[in-house]
Amino acid sequence: MSYQPGSRVRVRAGDPDHHTRVPRYVRGHTGEVVAVLGHWTLPDDSARGITPPRTEACYAVRFSAAELWGSGDHTVTVDLWESYLDRP
Amino acid sequence: MGGQAGFGPVPAGEDGGVPFAADWEAHVYALAKMLRRRGVVNDDELRDAIERLPPQQYLAASYYERWLGALELLVAEKGLI
Amino acid sequence: MTGHDDHEAQPAAARARRLEEQLITAGLTSDDEIDEFLTGLSGASPVNGARMAARAWTDPRYRDLLLDDGNAAAAELGFGPFSYQLRVIANDEDVHNVIVCTLCSCYPVSLLGPSPGWYKSFAYRSRTVREPRAVLAEFGVTLPDTTQISVWDSTSEARYMVLPQRPAGTGGLAAGDLTALVSRNGLIGTALV
Repeated sequence: MSYQPGSRVRVRAGDPDHHTRVPRYVRGHTGEVVAVLGHWTLPDDSARGITPPRTEACYAVRFSAAELWGSGDHTVTVDLWESYLDRP
Repeated sequence: MGGQAGFGPVPAGEDGGVPFAADWEAHVYALAKMLRRRGVVNDDELRDAIERLPPQQYLAASYYERWLGALELLVAEKGLI
Repeated sequence: MTGHDDHEAQPAAARARRLEEQLITAGLTSDDEIDEFLTGLSGASPVNGARMAARAWTDPRYRDLLLDDGNAAAAELGFGPFSYQLRVIANDEDVHNVIVCTLCSCYPVSLLGPSPGWYKSFAYRSRTVREPRAVLAEFGVTLPDTTQISVWDSTSEARYMVLPQRPAGTGGLAAGDLTALVSRNGLIGTALV
C-alpha cells in the first residue's frame, strides 16, 4: 500500500480501451488522500474476466474544484484504486 | 460523465423521485440481481456492458433501457440462453 | 443491420418480457424468485437510513460508530450485511455533503430504497461534481456562502450516505418522530432536514 491519508497523488492520464473506474474529469489531476478504504478487486480486471483479478488498495482522494474546473469553492472526493495513481 | 456540459436541469420533481416508472423496469432490475446472485455476471461486467452500448443507444435510452441492453448483450456473449 | 434495428425499436417492455422468459427457460431464474425479490424490495427503504441518522442524533456513541464503521452501525440496528462498505459523512455548520455516482448511479439501496430517477439522470450525474450549488438550488436548497460543499463520487465498493444536521428545536422529540424528520433526499444531500 503506497499511500496514506495526507498523501498527495496524481491520477494517471490515459484512456484505456477497457472498463475502468477512473472518471475522466479527474485524470491528470492532483489530489489528497483522505482515507484508505480497503483492498478490493480491480474492476478493470473483473469486467474483462481476468483470472485472478488484481487486488489493490483503494483510496478516497479529494480534489478542489479549482484544480478540476478552474473555478468553484467545493471539493470532490473520488474513490480510486492504487494503479490509477502516481506520486505527483 | 462528471462535468460533461449540456444536460440541463435535474428532474427533481415528484415524478423524478419514483424508482421504477413501469413494471418492466422493476423486472429488469430483478433479472440483473438474479444473474448476479448466481454468479453468471458480476457488477463490473454489467457496468462494462452498459458502457459498451453504442453511444447513440446509451444517450437515447432510459436508465433501465441501458440495463436491459447490457443484460441482452451479456446474455448473448456468454451464451446463457 | 435491419434486424438489429428492429430489435432495438421494440418497446422495452416487450424486450424485457422476452429476456425474462428466456432466462426462466434456461433455468437461470424463476417467476417465484423474481416475485419474491420484488416483494422483498420494500424492505429496502429510506426509513432504514433515517433510523440510523436519528439514533446518531441522540446517542453520541452510536454517532461515533456510524461515522467510523457504517456497516457495524447498520448491523446494530439489524440492517445488512451488505456487499458494500457503508461510509457515512456528517454535515456540520461548515460543510454540506452531497453524494453522486457519475459513472453509473451506485447508491446504498438497502438503506435508502431503490434510487430515484433524478439520481440516475445524466443531469445529476454530470453537473453535481461541477456545480453543486446550482444543482442544490434546483432542489430548493440554498446554503450560506460560508458553507463549503463536499461532493462524494461513489466509484468503488464504498457507498456513501449523509448524516444530516439535527434541526434546531427537536430536543424533546421521540425516536420515531426524529426518524420521520430525515428524508431520503436529506440522506443523499439534496435536502436539508
